[in-house]
Amino acid sequence: MSAASLAVQLAGGFLLAPLLPGLVQHWKARLQGRRGPTPLQPYRELRRLWGKSVVDVEGAGIVYRLAPAVAAGSVATAVLLVPVAARAPALGVGRDALALLGLLALARFAVAAAAWDTGNGFALMGASRDLTIAVFVEATLVLSVAVAALVAGTTRLTGIVAGTAGTDAWSNPALGLGAVAFALVVIAETGRQPVDNPDTHLELTMIHEGPLLEYAGRDLAFLHWAAAARHWLVLVLAAQVFLPHPRSVWEQLAVLPLVLAALCGGLAIVETLTAKMRILLAPRLVGVGAAAALLGIVSWLVQS
Amino acid sequence: MTTPLLLAAIGLLALGTVGAAGRSTLRAALYAQAAGTGLLGLAGFWMLTAGTTAGSAFASSFEPRFGVDGLTAFFLGTLGAVGAPALLFAARYLQDDLRGRALGVLTGAFALSLAEVLCARDPLTFLAGWELMTLLPAALILVGRSDAASRHTVFLYVAVTHLAGAGTWIAVLLAAHAGALGGHGALARGSGLQIAIALTALAGMGTKAGAMPFHSWLPRAHPIAPAPVSALMSGVMIKVAVYALVRVLVDWLGVLPLGIGVLVLALGALSAVGGVVYAIFQHDLKRLLAFHSIENVGIILLGLGACLVLRARGADTWAAFALGAALLHTLNHALFKALLFLGAGSFERAVGSLELDRLGGLLRRMPWTGGAFLLGAMAIAGLPPLNGFASEWLTLQALLHVLAAGGIGDGLAGGLALAALAATAALAVLCFVKVVGLVLLGPPRRDAVAAAVEVAAPMRAAVVALAGACVFLGVAPGLLFGRLARLAPWPARAGTAVGLHLPGTGSLPTAGLAAVLAGLTAGLVVLRGRRSAAPAPTWACGQLVEPRLRWTSAGFTKPLRLVLEAVLRPQREIEVRREGGLVRQVSYSGHVPQLLDERLYRPAVELALGAARHARRLQTGRLGTYVAYLIALVVVLLVATRAGVIG
Repeated sequence: MSAASLAVQLAGGFLLAPLLPGLVQHWKARLQGRRGPTPLQPYRELRRLWGKSVVDVEGAGIVYRLAPAVAAGSVATAVLLVPVAARAPALGVGRDALALLGLLALARFAVAAAAWDTGNGFALMGASRDLTIAVFVEATLVLSVAVAALVAGTTRLTGIVAGTAGTDAWSNPALGLGAVAFALVVIAETGRQPVDNPDTHLELTMIHEGPLLEYAGRDLAFLHWAAAARHWLVLVLAAQVFLPHPRSVWEQLAVLPLVLAALCGGLAIVETLTAKMRILLAPRLVGVGAAAALLGIVSWLVQS
Repeated sequence: MTTPLLLAAIGLLALGTVGAAGRSTLRAALYAQAAGTGLLGLAGFWMLTAGTTAGSAFASSFEPRFGVDGLTAFFLGTLGAVGAPALLFAARYLQDDLRGRALGVLTGAFALSLAEVLCARDPLTFLAGWELMTLLPAALILVGRSDAASRHTVFLYVAVTHLAGAGTWIAVLLAAHAGALGGHGALARGSGLQIAIALTALAGMGTKAGAMPFHSWLPRAHPIAPAPVSALMSGVMIKVAVYALVRVLVDWLGVLPLGIGVLVLALGALSAVGGVVYAIFQHDLKRLLAFHSIENVGIILLGLGACLVLRARGADTWAAFALGAALLHTLNHALFKALLFLGAGSFERAVGSLELDRLGGLLRRMPWTGGAFLLGAMAIAGLPPLNGFASEWLTLQALLHVLAAGGIGDGLAGGLALAALAATAALAVLCFVKVVGLVLLGPPRRDAVAAAVEVAAPMRAAVVALAGACVFLGVAPGLLFGRLARLAPWPARAGTAVGLHLPGTGSLPTAGLAAVLAGLTAGLVVLRGRRSAAPAPTWACGQLVEPRLRWTSAGFTKPLRLVLEAVLRPQREIEVRREGGLVRQVSYSGHVPQLLDERLYRPAVELALGAARHARRLQTGRLGTYVAYLIALVVVLLVATRAGVIG
């Protein structure tokens, strides 16, 4: 049982992650009346990038060269950290929900520092916006994790998955409010509308795409994979913690692909229905999530 | 066994202090100071590990006593871990300084005064050390710089730390009067005296620690001291204030009412967020680092506040963990802040001014100092696998347990503190990306920077040693954490392992995390291969990236400034000069005012000055008036005695 969930975790996180943004793009195109690329398009792009050589920027140094590996390495560590079901052995990196925060911050730091190394104005614009929004995203993420940890009584992720399983945990509004908060974290971390627009290459509106401008070849492949793996991380957490899920590990594993596909569909619908908001309004939107999570905490404290 | 070691260390330090007065012995004396401090630190960590004590215990009487217990031993270790590299750095840094000898004597005396506060076991010795610890850095700054602005800053520093420092005197003397030095359960829980001591200690020692809203001296005084002194001030002096707070609030006063813990949480959250937000908008490296000291004191206070709340709620195990988190962050901050200040000192030596917009490219020109500085920046930003991440994770866990401990009010306070700490960590990442980018990366932004060369070997060795300590405590924080949690004066169970394995958490196997991170990253670097196309210029829509197109400190932080505009009230002026319809020159100036200074301190100072103007009318300078005052006083006293008000 634990071997199966481990297999799903590793195969899903490392290999199937690019399918998630592919699915979102595919369904978004369908919703907009276009045929659009197949869901496998991210794999094709990764293969194409893999065959190309990297480009060094004049004057840039070791930070620029190491950043994609550091970013992808820390996201890969996070993939090892986040389990897909209530039972999975730890892989030497622990199973703690709050450790996730540090790993995602390391990836962000590496990419933003690389932007300074190249001195590219558009990269820096994206990096500074990304880091500004991250302030609010991290607070919201911690508060929503706190809600789940209160409900489950631990910050061990497998324990959280088990503690929020079934219907009992949902008798209190806390987890529902935490889910609202986490939904906004999902949108911000995956770089989706209304916070960011993954399709645009109009420099003035870019956030996550900005710091990627100077990269090519395998460097860019690493960064694209890291973005896809971030989809995997937050969507798996959403499916296994902040949405109702069954108690039995087998059922959890069986339901997971369906829920992930449904969540991708949900992201596609949100992307189709909303326009990108002004960048400076995004913190307010994410702040609403933080407030919702705080309300969830209060409702839990009042009831217990 | 340890007492002779401690005495030898103090003796070596004192010898180095005296020896620094000689022209020919200055360098050797500073090495002796470094060795003495290092020995003191070694003895401290050894005593902490072995769990031994030395000298006498606390007594409320006034005979001078000295002693070392677990808490003192840990802070002596901190003093050694920062003092030894800082003084080693000073040996080379002060060598070419005209005032090197005076500065050398004063740094030694400063280190001795810090050790005195830590080892004092009676109120008088403690307070004497406390005053010396305040006055010696003032003397150091004045010897180092003699311009009017520095003199004014030192005046402000001495004034603020003495006005609010009265709180320390009141707290310690009240505790001595009640016989509460050393605990002994002398004070009833929730008694007026207990609360009064706690509040005065928070004001007095909080000022010295630089907690908001008592911080206004810190960002002014720390940057203008010589680099090794800045490192000692930010690394150790404000930590000694933290020691005093822990001593009073955790050790002496017993179990405090819940409200005090919530108050400490509030102070911590304010300092953490306020410190880092103002740090982001600084454009001078040392001033920015000084604001970060406020932030980190805030994080330490968050741990301490969690400890007090959990203790009041009876959750003793997690109260001990919270104390361990606060103490571990104290050491961690001491290490990386000293590293960053010493690195800033090296950069200043190499290139002159530390204005952030006029540095750049120093990682390539000064690889040792620059590399260590990069590690220090990542550690202070709380990134794994370095030490700042370990202690911030512990503090987050402690705050989460405040939530789970029961109450609604303190639970909500814990939730807000949790959000504040998470936001602080993200803001620190933003701030240090800016620092790393402007100082270490990109092209050099002026000629002096382009010509920078690496500093002398002792200065390099100091920062590299501190960086090594940051990595070590990031990989194996558990070796220390268990012992720190057991320093709590109540029975606490905490194991000692390499990683951090706490009940109710998913555990943080720091060594495993570091190995996996390093392994995966290295694997990806190998996969990336060495094949690369010809170097290309940076893309700027076909333009060349000229110097005037380079991003600045103000530009990078603009989104945050706009988001927080309603709170921060930034001011800016743009002046456009036109000639014949053509724009000739655009000048921009903007700054983010210190709200607490402008809204709280300035009105208070104006009020005080206004009152002083009124009071001055009493001083006429005429003898007759003064005689009249005296007669009036005698009459008032006689009447009061007659009426039975006095006597």
